[in-house]
Amino acid sequence: MEYLATIGVLIAIYVILSSSYNLVIGYGGLSTVAHPIFFAVGAYTAGLLAIHSGLPAVCNVILGGLAAMLASVLLAASALRVSGDYLLIASLGFQLGLLQLIKNLDFTGGPGGLTAIPGTVTGAARTPFFLIVSGLLAVATVWGIRIIVTGPYGRAITAMRDEELAFTALGRDATSMKVVIFAVGCGIAGIAGGVYAYYFQYISPDQFDVLQSAAILTMVVLGGMGTTFGPVVGAVLLLAIPQAITFLNLPPSIMAPTQGIIFTVLVLLFLFLRPAGIVGLSRKTL
Amino acid sequence: MLDPVILAQILWTGIATSAPYVLMTVGFALTLKVTGLWNFAHAGLMAIAFYTIYFVLNFCDLPVVVALPAALIVTGAASLAIEIAGLQVLRDRGSGNLTFFIFTLILSELIIYVITLLFGTEPETLFKSILSPVTIVANIAVSDWDELAVAVAASGLVLLYAFLTWSREGQFLNAVADNARLAELYGISAKRAWRVVSVISAMFIVASMYLIGTHGGVVPNSPLELIITAVIGTLLGGIGRVFAAAAAAVFLGLLQSFSILIIDSRWQNLLLYGVLFITIVVFPRGVRLPPLRLIWTTR
Repeated sequence: MEYLATIGVLIAIYVILSSSYNLVIGYGGLSTVAHPIFFAVGAYTAGLLAIHSGLPAVCNVILGGLAAMLASVLLAASALRVSGDYLLIASLGFQLGLLQLIKNLDFTGGPGGLTAIPGTVTGAARTPFFLIVSGLLAVATVWGIRIIVTGPYGRAITAMRDEELAFTALGRDATSMKVVIFAVGCGIAGIAGGVYAYYFQYISPDQFDVLQSAAILTMVVLGGMGTTFGPVVGAVLLLAIPQAITFLNLPPSIMAPTQGIIFTVLVLLFLFLRPAGIVGLSRKTL
Repeated sequence: MLDPVILAQILWTGIATSAPYVLMTVGFALTLKVTGLWNFAHAGLMAIAFYTIYFVLNFCDLPVVVALPAALIVTGAASLAIEIAGLQVLRDRGSGNLTFFIFTLILSELIIYVITLLFGTEPETLFKSILSPVTIVANIAVSDWDELAVAVAASGLVLLYAFLTWSREGQFLNAVADNARLAELYGISAKRAWRVVSVISAMFIVASMYLIGTHGGVVPNSPLELIITAVIGTLLGGIGRVFAAAAAAVFLGLLQSFSILIIDSRWQNLLLYGVLFITIVVFPRGVRLPPLRLIWTTR
């Protein structure tokens, strides 16, 4: 039961991550793959504050979100000059560079990661507490993004994504809108990182590498990019199905790659059989 | 004041160490030039190439003359299969760049997971010993591996240049790279060009992984890190300029080698990613040096 609840927490965190990433890439049209690094910035900020400061957990998680937001503005200020493939590769460079920095700094725990992050709740209530908190945050994220994208600002975002030249010609500032979308999406990822750090009490650079980028991107694309519930479906499906073999009690050396194989095969199957995503509104291809 | 011999040694070692990176960068840059795709499936192909050679050498106890052709066949066939059954299907469907990015990256991951399942995660080298005999040339230590690496990279580049410049098939590749639709109007098959380039890039991948596997340990995940060097070299050289990408790979090798004079070796990768980020933001079309002719003219 504890295991299932942990999977539930993980799914909720990934719903937050994939939905916030969908805001950036699906609605904003910003082709970045660096989302996991903002997740990492939030996780490390909250984790370090939890260890070294006496601040309450809520403050640390919010500060993690703000740190991720700040990091995203730094990336946006320089990299949003380019677009398309270039932005994708620039964001990859930013992510790998920052991860390398985390790996080599002593106060972040280096490649071994940050351990002994103090827990906020202990005992039997711990996992149900985090399940409820992360679940509520996931619902709030999906609901909040839906409100944004269905309102007047959301229509402006879509217009900017689809016809940037015309959007600019109407006197609107596309760059500042991109920075805002990017900062909001990455700030939410940072908050998810804070919750992750508090729940698992251990974070390491390897948890936020390029494979994470591929995983979150896949959740968004296969669920249905630019749809509210697509990333939710993608996250649930791609996290839950590979867990099915956990009950086979295979040794870790077989379990981990087998789960990876199931995940990647699922992605490839959906990519070819359902290219518009599971919740894709039209038959348009990506 | 630094000893010139030390500087010369670092220069030589940097050039030799960059040789496998040159080969993989050329394969990656050529694919990007002709197909217009950032083919991250090359990471998976690198893993296939290395573990095929490793399997033939260590499990079948066969010599290198068998292992290398076997790797060429297996990697070439895998590359061709990815082109025909994967990339071409996505092209026909009119898929966007993100779909190609996901497909190639996830496919590499799948290959790496399968290889992890088969061979484990321990670092492996192609031969039991990676020590190479050394000779001293003008006070500089030159190993047999250094000579082999530089010779393979140089001959690979010369052969590719000759192929692209003088062979009919190579000229077709250039035509498709310039404008695939126009090339098709003149009766050149773009599909054929994409298939040819997939096989050529596989050859460069096999050569680079042989050199890497005879110089140090490789784990299934290594190719995902190695491919980043190819991406940086390609960007630094400028998209569509394969030989400039090769020069950029040498520059990256030298940058890393000389960086040990001023920074700790653990920061070398950060230097690499820093170059990637700065290149994209400051030189999105690559670094273009002024032509030599212009320098003469100004004089």
